[in-house]
Amino acid sequence: MRGFFSSLFSGLFGTREMRILILGLDGAGKTTILYRLQVGEVVTTIPTIGFNVETVSYKNLKFQVWDLGGQTSIRPYWRCYYSNTDAVIYVVDSSDRDRMGISKSELVAMLEEEELKKAILVVFANKQDMEQAMTPTEVANALGLPCLKDRKWQIFKTSATKGTGLDEVGGVPEEPAVDVCVTTPPPHAFSVHTP
Amino acid sequence: MYTLLSGLYKYMFQKDEYCILILGLDNAGKTTFLEQTKTKFSKNYKGMSLSKITTTVGLNIGTIDVGNARLMFWDLGGQEELQSLWDKYYAESHGVIYVIDSTDEERLSESKEAFEKMITSESLEGIPLLVLANKQDVENCLSVPDIKTAFSDCAPKIGKRDCLVQPCTALTGDGVNEGIEWMVKCVVRNLLRPPRQKDIT
Repeated sequence: MRGFFSSLFSGLFGTREMRILILGLDGAGKTTILYRLQVGEVVTTIPTIGFNVETVSYKNLKFQVWDLGGQTSIRPYWRCYYSNTDAVIYVVDSSDRDRMGISKSELVAMLEEEELKKAILVVFANKQDMEQAMTPTEVANALGLPCLKDRKWQIFKTSATKGTGLDEVGGVPEEPAVDVCVTTPPPHAFSVHTP
Repeated sequence: MYTLLSGLYKYMFQKDEYCILILGLDNAGKTTFLEQTKTKFSKNYKGMSLSKITTTVGLNIGTIDVGNARLMFWDLGGQEELQSLWDKYYAESHGVIYVIDSTDEERLSESKEAFEKMITSESLEGIPLLVLANKQDVENCLSVPDIKTAFSDCAPKIGKRDCLVQPCTALTGDGVNEGIEWMVKCVVRNLLRPPRQKDIT
């Protein structure tokens, strides 16, 4: 009986911890974003080999945020972290036009994974403070986001070091994540069309 | 006999899937309309509270079943810089819902420009078009005749495709059912773009 009530209580008032992955190529700014979200400061980072994990609270929601290293050699290990993920934050260095193609193919490969079928995609077009940065629309096109027809996605321009964009983004992981609990995912199979 | 059996199989396990685009300027009420539609047409769907909806910068999706048809909605962001993404979806869509904010007289001409650009696209030729005059609950808003007058010079470009201007209030749900039912009728009847067949699993 006690178990029943406690489960009812947590169902009504409790908070389920959302699991969010921050992914992207090396040097995109994933770790800086993670600590911006957590402590609100710019920390000096070194390339992540392995992962950083932090709990971020926003309003009454708790997020378990995983920031995985983005170097070529360790990208294959991303998939070990895919299960039970509610949302993926994909960080792109908007000023790195040369590697947009690699970024796209990594993204496409990632979204094909069965375990991420229900996850929501949030793209951060980061480093918007750089002069040669691409606009969010250009980034969206370069990543082939318009070809995703079966998945909710959003794109934001951010500058992790300046902190711009992240304030409005602060609520971003929340809204889609809340949505994911209440929406039943589309029953048909997910597919990524490459143009 | 084969036809009978395959027809029965189709009737029971397959649905015709139609893709519907929801377009319009930012803050017209596209996402609210989508959420309201999902709440009205799917059982056991607890929608997100309508007051919590924020600006869409990307794509929201939704699926509803009406009779033997399955409608899949693509709700795209309406900000100016995102409008360039709209045409990527034209070739695959079976119907377009264009949402207008009836209270925003200042941006009506901007909305008309976006509308004109959209309907002149070749890949949307012959595709049913539902224009929603949204936010009709607000006093002193533009009425349907007002909007029709403002958009009157688009009429030749609309041409022969099915088109309906429907007053609606996405927030309360007025006019949503009528709009969706009309859209279903039109996409089913439109032979120019046959539906995708999807197995129900």
